[in-house]
Amino acid sequence: VRVKIWGARGSVPSPGPETNRYGGNTSCVEVELSDGTILVLDAGTGIRSLGVALGGERTRINILLTHLHLDHIQGLMFFAPLFRPTSEIVIWGPEAPDASLQDRIARYISAPLSPVEVRELPCQLSFRDSPHTEWQIGPATLRSASVTHRGPTLGYRITEGDTSLCYIPDHEPAIGTDLLRDDPDWISGFELARGATLLFHDCQYSDTEYPTHIGWGHSRLSDTLAFAHRVEAEHVMLFHHDPMHSDDFLDVFHGAAVERWTALGGRASQIELATERRELDAAANRAA
Amino acid sequence: VATGQRPIELIHARNLITGLSTPAFLVDEDGVVVFYNDAAGMILGRRFEESGHMAPDEWGTAFEPVDRDGKPVPVEELPLSIALRQARPVYSRLRIRSLDGQEHEIHVSAIPILTMEGLRGALALFWSADEGGA
Repeated sequence: VRVKIWGARGSVPSPGPETNRYGGNTSCVEVELSDGTILVLDAGTGIRSLGVALGGERTRINILLTHLHLDHIQGLMFFAPLFRPTSEIVIWGPEAPDASLQDRIARYISAPLSPVEVRELPCQLSFRDSPHTEWQIGPATLRSASVTHRGPTLGYRITEGDTSLCYIPDHEPAIGTDLLRDDPDWISGFELARGATLLFHDCQYSDTEYPTHIGWGHSRLSDTLAFAHRVEAEHVMLFHHDPMHSDDFLDVFHGAAVERWTALGGRASQIELATERRELDAAANRAA
Repeated sequence: VATGQRPIELIHARNLITGLSTPAFLVDEDGVVVFYNDAAGMILGRRFEESGHMAPDEWGTAFEPVDRDGKPVPVEELPLSIALRQARPVYSRLRIRSLDGQEHEIHVSAIPILTMEGLRGALALFWSADEGGA
């Protein structure tokens, strides 16, 4: 399972010289399965560059949306395959009581926010609620679960062979929960992330920033590490960087993360900060 | 034993009542008590960590609920049972005997937890009528 990060930022795009190294595009991760099937996790602004890189050769694409906050769908309008008649694109996402997935996305891809409407897109486009049971795409088994964030929000687990990637970019599992002591079935996202080969997880805030952001739906460093430790993830990709966090800040943040993770008994090589254009084999850091 | 993640709505409900001083009681879709908070534990006479999960027949009789005339209330007529069965809010006033033998008169409001996937459980908020309550 090959993975490439096209956007690792949370909340709002934050381009500029101070964010060049980690990148300023919002959430988008490309996953390529062994048969060449492409899964796209979220459609933040990073998906624009992915669309360019895919060219016209890849015609069947599945986009898995965790939720419909703007930083996770903003790039959709600029994803080149949507504008090709040869493309077959399926957009998966969370169901909601008020409207269908298509209608909710159309609130963004419509006037006055957009010059085109969903119905005008020339590709073969379909919308599906992510099932509550496992389903298959290509050689992978997929699972989704509702997780703690604001509004209907999913996490995904993609398993091919003995490799599993879990993606929970927006998640505040610690709110009202003791991550170190509560039963696993009371911890949001636990079952989804359990033993994942590669875990992408929200780590928007430092511990000192978090007290003024409790309930906003995101995690602080210590909670992210406690969650990752508890689920026994093999490799942890700290994701959804706060737009205020510069490259220099994130370098220091990474150092703190490694220090805390090793104090929990982990290996320094298991902890990584997501970096735009980073490409990896999901199982590359598997312990021998 | 963990059997998978609880429905997120139950997790949110548990997280909410954990921090409340309003006594609250949470059951899953089968009517099993999956959590009650410390404020409820003070009225019921035992903390949840001590009593653990309780099946409907167990909690429905453990507190010996009676109505205001002293007539026993069967488990299927308790507010939580009705909220689960009929998927509607229910209010009632009862007398119960806590697990440490104290009698309490309580107001109970139970609400179903309905989701896109159907009924996931129910939540009962209650408070003592012993302390000058209406």
